[in-house]
Amino acid sequence: MGLALPYIFKDERHLNRSLTPCSVYFYYLSHLIEKGPHYVSEKQEKVHPVKVWDLPTRIFHWSLVALVAIGLITGFLSPEWWMGVHLWAGYGTVLLVVFRLVWGIFGSEYSRLETFTFTPREVIAHIRELFFLRPTHYIGHNPAGALMIFALIFILAGITISGLLVLGGEENQGPLAGAANYQVGDMAADIHEALTFILMVLIAFHIVGVFTEIHLSGENLVRSMIDGIKRVPDAIKPPIHRDARPLAAITTMVSFAMLAGSLLWLFSTMPPSGLIAMAVNEDFQRECGDCHEVYHPSLLPRASWTTLMAGLDDHFGEDASLEPDTAIVITAHLATYGSESWDTEAANRFRTVSPDAPIQISATPYWLRKHDDIGEATFKRKGVGGKSHCKACHRDAESGRFDDQKIKIPNE
Amino acid sequence: MKMLTLALATAAILLSAVGAQANPARDAIVAGFVAQAKAENPGFDGFSATRGEIFFKANQVGGKPETPSCTSCHGATPFTPGQTRAGKVIDPMAVSKTQDRYTDPKKVDKWFRRNCNSVLGRECTAEEKGDYLTFMISR
Repeated sequence: MGLALPYIFKDERHLNRSLTPCSVYFYYLSHLIEKGPHYVSEKQEKVHPVKVWDLPTRIFHWSLVALVAIGLITGFLSPEWWMGVHLWAGYGTVLLVVFRLVWGIFGSEYSRLETFTFTPREVIAHIRELFFLRPTHYIGHNPAGALMIFALIFILAGITISGLLVLGGEENQGPLAGAANYQVGDMAADIHEALTFILMVLIAFHIVGVFTEIHLSGENLVRSMIDGIKRVPDAIKPPIHRDARPLAAITTMVSFAMLAGSLLWLFSTMPPSGLIAMAVNEDFQRECGDCHEVYHPSLLPRASWTTLMAGLDDHFGEDASLEPDTAIVITAHLATYGSESWDTEAANRFRTVSPDAPIQISATPYWLRKHDDIGEATFKRKGVGGKSHCKACHRDAESGRFDDQKIKIPNE
Repeated sequence: MKMLTLALATAAILLSAVGAQANPARDAIVAGFVAQAKAENPGFDGFSATRGEIFFKANQVGGKPETPSCTSCHGATPFTPGQTRAGKVIDPMAVSKTQDRYTDPKKVDKWFRRNCNSVLGRECTAEEKGDYLTFMISR
């Protein structure tokens, strides 16, 4: 553990220069880099293969890589209707994280959390050694790597939990659709995003760390995570290897799945919190549906509906006036079921209308933002039929839900 | 009463002359316009499908700029479907294509009220309405 005194300080070459701590360090680094990797080439140590990562840990690692990649791509780059894939990546990640924690208790030697739980003193010592590019050799995870694993597991747990809250609160989907309201979902969305950025930074550090370690130790860690084998110097004596206890691990996993599953199932029996039962109004359906799609009342606030109903004699450039009796019935219906009455994402978003066109759904800031990457040519497609035709692409428009997964833009 | 009988008779003659499908409700609507036309214009001498066709296809002035003509939303001919500006398909206006047209007086009133205002910027005269109906019934 002790750090060898950097013998370069006895070198006379630096004596006739002015020294700063920085220049000494970089001089030292250049010296080290000239001399190459520490363990293998420099000391020409004899090594022997040790099976470090058991198969479940390796499968865990690369599955997690795949799911996180899918999660990031579908979260940042893919269009909204990939949301379903994003969700499955999330549910898969939950299972992997739970598995890793269970395997951290019942896995084989180097998979166990206790073998890479270090004291702060050990962590600091390791970082100091890293600073001088002379880290002590660890067979399993070194303290920096261990810290990274715990950080990743915490962040991933946070991302999946906040993701479930977004899904339930904003989208009215998933097990927490009834338990989480929009406000909770909206806050969770910010957390979900912030944690994702932290995750990406951690991943970057993780990769840099791995390649630093590869350079310093000469040990190909990427290959180790594929074949499970590390080449350990003969001088280092491996601890007595404890085998995995698969049965105990499976029992714990199943118990956890049943417990968490029934808890989530219980939550999922609550009706979605954002949606209310809406009485069918035949006048509303018939009169509005005569000329255009019957828009869900949650898509504009009450004040906008009232304004709209009072100005039917010039309704978007046309006379759409109604018999007074019918107009009263429809106005009442819209006022009852305006956006204030719902807690869906659409209702929350469409409460903010355009000051210049308060009765136009497609002029609201949210509508414009959500459709700004859809070209005019797409709106002109025969199967779309214009910006006023929500349900051409939003196949659940009539319910007012507007789920991401229900978007399908006609190709022509 | 005598007036109404006369109107009905006139309508019946007109309709049989252009060979349209008879429908009591539709006949009554046309008869109503005959009576109104007579009241509005003492010199009224019956509706004309030809005038109706010209009226249907003409570019009007005085209405809203979005809708200069009946054909802005209805098809270019009575036999072709049209489309509202919001994209909803409108069945063809000819009775031979859409059998139940012009049988609900409330609906007829509503749409003449709205569409005359949109296209012409005023109410239509009974003669214009009757010409239009006669044209559509004959097709």
